Amino acid sequence: MKGITRKFLRVNLSNGKIGEEAIPEQVETDFIGGRGFGIHYLYRELVPKSDPLGEHNKLIFVAGPLAGTTAQAVSRWMVYTKSPLTGALARSVSGADFGAWIKFAGYEFILVEGKAERPAYIHLTRDTCRIEPADELWGKDTAATQEWLTRRHGLNTRAACIGPGGENLVKYAAIVTHRRTASRCGVGAVMGSKNLKAIAINAERNLQLYDPEGFKKLVKQQIQTMMANKAFQYHREMGTTGNPENTSELGIFPTKNFRYGRLDDYEKITGDEYLKHRIGQFGCYSCAARCGKIHHVTKGLYAGAQSEGPEYESIWAFSGPIENSSLEATIAADQLCDDLGIDTISTGNTIGFAYELYEKGLLTKKDTDGLELKYGNHKAMVELVKKIARREGIGDLLAEGTMRVAEKIGKGAEAFAINAKGLELPAYEPRGSKSLGFNYATSNIGGSHSYGYATQEVLGASFPRRVDRFAEEENADIVIFNQNNVAVGEVGIACAFSRGWFPQVYDKLLIAATGIDKIAERGYLMHVGEKIVNLERAFIVREGFGRKQDTLPQRMLTEPLHTRGSPGEGQMIRNLDKFLDRYYELRGWTPEGIPSSEKLEELGLGYMTKDMAQYHHIKAT
Amino acid sequence: MSVRIEIPPLLRHHTNGVITAEVKGSTVGECLNSFAKQYPGTRKRLFDKNGKLLRYVEIYVNGETSYPKELARQVNDGDEISIVYLISGG
Repeated sequence: MKGITRKFLRVNLSNGKIGEEAIPEQVETDFIGGRGFGIHYLYRELVPKSDPLGEHNKLIFVAGPLAGTTAQAVSRWMVYTKSPLTGALARSVSGADFGAWIKFAGYEFILVEGKAERPAYIHLTRDTCRIEPADELWGKDTAATQEWLTRRHGLNTRAACIGPGGENLVKYAAIVTHRRTASRCGVGAVMGSKNLKAIAINAERNLQLYDPEGFKKLVKQQIQTMMANKAFQYHREMGTTGNPENTSELGIFPTKNFRYGRLDDYEKITGDEYLKHRIGQFGCYSCAARCGKIHHVTKGLYAGAQSEGPEYESIWAFSGPIENSSLEATIAADQLCDDLGIDTISTGNTIGFAYELYEKGLLTKKDTDGLELKYGNHKAMVELVKKIARREGIGDLLAEGTMRVAEKIGKGAEAFAINAKGLELPAYEPRGSKSLGFNYATSNIGGSHSYGYATQEVLGASFPRRVDRFAEEENADIVIFNQNNVAVGEVGIACAFSRGWFPQVYDKLLIAATGIDKIAERGYLMHVGEKIVNLERAFIVREGFGRKQDTLPQRMLTEPLHTRGSPGEGQMIRNLDKFLDRYYELRGWTPEGIPSSEKLEELGLGYMTKDMAQYHHIKAT
Repeated sequence: MSVRIEIPPLLRHHTNGVITAEVKGSTVGECLNSFAKQYPGTRKRLFDKNGKLLRYVEIYVNGETSYPKELARQVNDGDEISIVYLISGG
């Protein structure tokens, strides 16, 4: 059918064995690539209940089937592993060039297993792969690490690496390439636990496409469509920095550890304010959007701070949680997170949690190394970022994330821990954007907006239908649609922000690249998206997750949202159970949230029926 | 000419929660101006100081973008206008 072979590279750090393996044609057809391959192989390879920071966990670095081509906004990459933060699935997505370089080296993904005895890095070219010592790199930040690797291996080196955060096993450590991060779920800690400092790739474009001529024409069409698209033009101009104003006016910009829906003086952190600090921009491989806006601080306490970003989530992470409107402090904190290799969302959220614990007297100055965690104190916030990455003093506790900090502190601290399945919630208030909130509750990675982003609620999109953002079980179908639809976009690991071209050419580009003609069948991509979400669900069921864990922080269920004049005042999650009943029913899952045999058969996952059957007796408590 | 406007979540607190509005006009611009007259609070979230459509607002007519004509795009009796904010984050 195709005449091209897609393969992956397996690297065992324990015994030094390195080998290529072909991806069977049936797996290609069933999962297409990207996120599909990530979950298929992780489910197949990982021994259930493995310790996420133990030798048996596996790390999969996946590029999409379109990465490295001339197509726009499709060269992102992602990491699949078991999360040390949540114990559930880790899916973490990043950008820059690394995805393209995985493909240039000749692979769909790199699967890393075992554990190196000493610090090591993997050096990969089109023809060779070696495990090299990294003693000299251990302790370096992510910028210095990449610089060292470039000096050593040449200018066409692209690396994904960890910083001190990953080395110190911060539960929400990131993997960084350039200044883009695969940051959610603690994937950097898994890398650190394997003594793996970096994967460095030297390669040049050399791709096999099923239909190169057809592909070329489609790219032309894609670019024309993008350029005529107003959303793309605005994204190119502002990145995501314009969003704080939007979410503040909607009353969904979480403030003071998710007690309020907007910052009092949000006018100080709008996109136009960030524009005053902008000195440049950066784009991922083959993407004209160049949405990475570079900001520089010229004066004051943070003079000299410079970051590619912050983008919307990081703007929020270092403003909303502690009620800070100094964007200079936000830029400094963002830079530190990228250098030290920790997730901005979990870091900012955990710091906001610490401030509330301080307010309530559950942490005192004695616990915080003398730092005064009073709302608005951005100096302490910036100090905490450093302490967390280095596990110094109070940072050692906070590096565990909100769920474990609450467990350790006790005394009711859990009531203020804002996470779902242990993953800290991001920059959208679930009580004011309920489809997003219920997505947090049911997501297989925990509190992630990008697992099922609700464009209908935030932007006013009307597809597949309009929604009332305060409705609950009535929107279960929307939550499912959004989650499946995100998975569709991630079989090609397409950027979530440059999508004007999607309906016209996405499926055609996938076919021209891979030769999988089944993609042309009506509904096939949505079928694959649904299959991915179900397989991910099966993965976490196997790890012990079910209905009991499909929940939201106590605050969302018991305390009304205060919006300071924006709409949504007094909103709460009224009936999570009713939502879950409807969601599971529409998903074809049991009332305990386990994929039914019928659903698995329908999705071509019949071989997993036996796996799941052993969990069907579990009752929610 | 009567045209229906679907009001996005961001504007609803300026319309007392109303989710659709009937307006008169033969172009998108006339319709949006008529809408902003009915609900004055929406004006600054639709137009800049010079009366141009904000750069992060996109208007759809019967599901099709009005870009690049935008405010000059003709509308017909019974058409439906949707207002979409182009801002997202992640």
